[in-house]
Amino acid sequence: MWSSKSERVEVKVDEKSFEEKVCDVLVIGGGGAGLRAAIEAHDKKANTLVVCKSLLGKAHTVMAEGGIAAALGNVDPEDGWQVHFSDTIVEGQYLSNWRMAEIFAKEAIERVYELERYGALFDRTPEGKISQRPFGAHTYRRLCHIGDRTGLELIRTLEDQVIARGIPFMDEVMVTSIIKDGGGGRAAAALGIDIRTGMLILFRFKAVILATGGCGKVYEVTSNSYESTGDGVSMAYRAGAELMDMEMIQFHPTGMIYPAGVRGMLVTEAVRGEGGILTNAKGERFMTKYDPKRMELSARDVVARAIYSEIVAGRGTKNGAVYLDISHRGADYIKKKLPSMYDQFLEFAGVDITKERMEVAPTVHYQMGGVRVDPETGETSVRGIYAAGEVASGLHGGNRLGGNSLSDILVFGRRAGGAAADVAAGMDVPEFDRKELESEVGRVLSPFSSAGNANPFYLKEAIAKNMWKHVGIMRNEADLTAGLKELEAISTEARKSKAVGARAYNQSWLDTLQVWDMILVSEAIIRSALERKESRGAHTRSDFPEKSEEWLMNIITVQKGEKMTHELRPVPKLPPELAALIKE
Amino acid sequence: MSQKFEEKPGEGTVKLRVRRGVGSDPATDRFDEFVVPMEKGMVVLNAIHYIQAHLDPSLSARWNCKAGRCGSCSAEINGRPRLMCKTPVESIEGDVVVEPMKAFPRLKDIVTDVDANWKVAAMIPPFTPKPGAGEIFRFYQQDVDRSREFRRCIECFLCQDVCHVVREHEADYVGPRWVVKAASLDMHPMDGLNRSKFMKDKGGLGYCNITKCCQEICPEHIVITDDAIIPEKERVVDREYDPLVWVYRHLRGSKEAEAQSFRATGGAP
Amino acid sequence: MGLRSDWKYLLPYELLEPNWRLWSFVAVLAVGFWAVVAFPVAQFAGYIDPFYSPTVLIVPLPGVFRLTCYAYRKDYHRHLFKHPQGCSNADRGEAAGRKYTGERNAVFQLENFHRYFLYAGIAILPFFYYDFGYSLVYSGQFVLRLGSLVLLANALMLTGWTLSCHAFRHLVGGNIDCYSCVAAGNARKGIYDKQSWLNSHHEALAWISLLTIVFVDLYLRGLAAGLPIDVTFLRF
Ligand SMILES: Cc1cc2nc3c(=O)[nH]c(=O)nc-3n(C[C@H](O)[C@H](O)[C@H](O)COP(=O)(O)OP(=O)(O)OC[C@H]3O[C@@H](n4cnc5c(N)ncnc54)[C@H](O)[C@@H]3O)c2cc1C
Ligand code: SF4
Ligand code: SF4
Ligand code: FES
Repeated sequence: MWSSKSERVEVKVDEKSFEEKVCDVLVIGGGGAGLRAAIEAHDKKANTLVVCKSLLGKAHTVMAEGGIAAALGNVDPEDGWQVHFSDTIVEGQYLSNWRMAEIFAKEAIERVYELERYGALFDRTPEGKISQRPFGAHTYRRLCHIGDRTGLELIRTLEDQVIARGIPFMDEVMVTSIIKDGGGGRAAAALGIDIRTGMLILFRFKAVILATGGCGKVYEVTSNSYESTGDGVSMAYRAGAELMDMEMIQFHPTGMIYPAGVRGMLVTEAVRGEGGILTNAKGERFMTKYDPKRMELSARDVVARAIYSEIVAGRGTKNGAVYLDISHRGADYIKKKLPSMYDQFLEFAGVDITKERMEVAPTVHYQMGGVRVDPETGETSVRGIYAAGEVASGLHGGNRLGGNSLSDILVFGRRAGGAAADVAAGMDVPEFDRKELESEVGRVLSPFSSAGNANPFYLKEAIAKNMWKHVGIMRNEADLTAGLKELEAISTEARKSKAVGARAYNQSWLDTLQVWDMILVSEAIIRSALERKESRGAHTRSDFPEKSEEWLMNIITVQKGEKMTHELRPVPKLPPELAALIKE
Repeated sequence: MSQKFEEKPGEGTVKLRVRRGVGSDPATDRFDEFVVPMEKGMVVLNAIHYIQAHLDPSLSARWNCKAGRCGSCSAEINGRPRLMCKTPVESIEGDVVVEPMKAFPRLKDIVTDVDANWKVAAMIPPFTPKPGAGEIFRFYQQDVDRSREFRRCIECFLCQDVCHVVREHEADYVGPRWVVKAASLDMHPMDGLNRSKFMKDKGGLGYCNITKCCQEICPEHIVITDDAIIPEKERVVDREYDPLVWVYRHLRGSKEAEAQSFRATGGAP
Repeated sequence: MGLRSDWKYLLPYELLEPNWRLWSFVAVLAVGFWAVVAFPVAQFAGYIDPFYSPTVLIVPLPGVFRLTCYAYRKDYHRHLFKHPQGCSNADRGEAAGRKYTGERNAVFQLENFHRYFLYAGIAILPFFYYDFGYSLVYSGQFVLRLGSLVLLANALMLTGWTLSCHAFRHLVGGNIDCYSCVAAGNARKGIYDKQSWLNSHHEALAWISLLTIVFVDLYLRGLAAGLPIDVTFLRF
């Protein structure tokens, strides 16, 4: 069975040639959203193909720890979808699309049970039901969990289902662009690179689902993985789709800061949930100043800003962090409740958290904004392109609740898969625009013939440093403008980015293309942040520190000609029966 | 043929010897030496990133989470299969030698092609709820513990790499990772299949001679041999060898469904 | 799996990381043969030498129990057959070119009957306690001597090794998938968990129990040879 070990033949790549693959539904992304979408589309008899940039099962979803939020009411019977709905809207600072939140809160429950029927092994209550733990800003105990490795189990379970169903997948394929049909109205194909061989592949489809995850890597300090470079957002934008609320970037209050190699790695909220105490370098428990009622367990944006303020005020440690201490809970308790955190600090930092304090600082965690989608189907503003998961926007508004993302990706992954399959059932594979393809092939291959000599790995660092410095937790007009200016300089440099060597597994090539996407996404973030002249949720402007009713607006980003333009659109009003559910 | 790239050599630096090459072409196979500034607490992957950003952008290395969670960055570091993102440079005496996993064909430099695993994965009979399990399962924490250990697996395939059967012999053995998978399904409280016959006939469980290299190197500290392989072997004994169990089963009438190879051909999906 | 520095490559692998459990097993077989045939000291001063205990009358069984024990299997596959002799690249040796069938050929399939040898192993455990009890009564009196404690230690170690067996682990609860679905499931899970703890020391116990046998044998031979190594603690 391992005989194929030695079978790989070297493919001689002929300059611009490409392989063609035809399917009904193309799913771009192998995270929770992509795999759930593929399962649904396949079950609805669509001929489905999954492609993902990393290996199958390695998508960023594997890193999720805390759990998946759904109002099963197993631990707190008072819980129900109505409360979950209210929590989501309130914590999203009223920017969320109410219909998405409603669908989400209702369907999350069945998605969790379905995951269990697929084989996921959730922790149990004494009555033998799925256990649920408390999390920041959820009214009731609501997070179903698999130890502190919920994401890993989620993705492995879906991966097994995909393999068992025989759904074809191609891992290590990076899609670079979506090609429209001749009329320009509908998506018809996608261009991708088979990373292993360097061959170009043209995927032709009836519908495509973007499930490419977030863009955390545009920031220097982030809990996100390599692949989170915002490719999907960029692809959709270039295809003419509308983006929404791009300024809303969630900063998780506690990331590791030391040693340098692990900077940004997540320190789960559960540490504070289990009684962790935050202190500054002077030993003061500073949360008393910022939120004396909820203290360490305040909302993510509040704690993140508090930590940031302490550090900026010079009360941080010499590594630019604050202390988080859980050692008072005792070694046995910590090892039982927070095994991964114990291991993580011991293995990566040489810190024994049962005895020593952790040093933590905010880290970029999640993109609330993204491609604007239809709440029911996940279709974007371009026909034939669907989006689900972190790449899509609308559910989380100005701030995402912990645990809401894993249920989000299942609920809307499934819906997008179903809708795409339905559409595909009634049509033929559209013709694609050959001119557009030609120019795309030219763009994708251009790094090889670049006259310049810029190093894409270095450029990635430059983008990330710029965003961290100018578009961080605390924003203001001057910083944002400076950030935009520096981004332009990087952008000029990036045109000279060079791919060195042959095409097979050429990271300098892939990273060049990603750098271009990252620049685009960064620009959308900065411009949207400049646009929103108030402080709301994760977006804080020191020059506009107040939240304002006038700003109950979604900021839409869309390409007009070559220009990035913005439009303000009022957030859809809650119908009275749902408005009645809201409890602050 | 060894290229040398040096930045500030001397104090506070570390020398890496990285095995380079394209595919299985022996003409391209070589070690390159790089000198990288040492930072406290840095891991081997940091050093590789430094090389890409400052010394040689043509170096290929697979990685993703940089947190020991995804299992992408598998390599052989000083002869031992390890995750690059979880191996502190300080833990290594002398030069750091980074090579690709040998059990898999090389794509480029230290990146290998682990595709064959998906073919094997497709053979394993999938989770199948037992009859009467219902829509909403009822079972208890004590039923979860055993299978849970195996669900820590991050599919780094380091155990496949270190296993002498997969690495050195063209045997029809699924390999430790996939025994772990079968065990995680077999020990699922609501699973209704018995994978023993499959494991013996198609899975090649008998090829494992319990020499425990896989157990020694698993970065997730899964006790592969003791907790997954030996129990699976004992289940095969129940099913295929033990006359007493055979008699007992036939008197009582077994309720478990027999699982043969899920996809008889074992073809890639 | 050590990372060995260069000079060590010159030495044979066995000298560097000798496998004491395997070699002591071989040594015991040799000593045992020599002792039983050449210098029989079956019984002395109220002690029974374990080599002459009823256990040895059925000597093939405990022998095969050890031979098919998972701990010893690891040892001889690594150190005799060298498949593989070590886990790191430097220790790999030349096994790649040699034929390998693992535990699948006719002979090695016998390993699958390990649990039957376990039954035999459990069956003979009481005899070691009998030997201990027997040593307590000497010339009509109850005596507690150092030698008795040595016999007891031996019996305990053998018990530890036998009950930490992987096949035993399977039988006491490893064969259950859903503890809450079977009768007395919680109790069996409890036993299984405790046995699992013991089982994690199985390799160590396999070796220690072998050493104690040898020690008891040598100790008794020492006594028989007139060495003043016994102490009496109590006498009624
Ligand atoms: C450390 C950490 C902990 C978290 N904990 C929780 C938690 O406890 N609860 C919770 O609800 N959420 C949590 N989250 C958030 C949650 O994990 C993510 O938001 C969610 O998993 C996103 O899933 P996704 O399917 O949208 O995308 P991803 O899982 O990011 O998958 C994206 C996929 O798209 C592919 N892709 C990307 N670009 C391309 C391209 N150009 N071509 C082809 N393929 C491409 C990638 O290879 C990947 O397969 C956590 C996040 C982090 C970082
Ligand atoms: S114990 Fe078995 S599976 Fe593990 S490395 Fe050894 S032979 Fe391979
Ligand atoms: S069992 Fe361990 S070594 Fe093997 S693939 Fe899983 S995590 Fe890696
Ligand atoms: S990069 Fe994910 S395990 Fe190393």
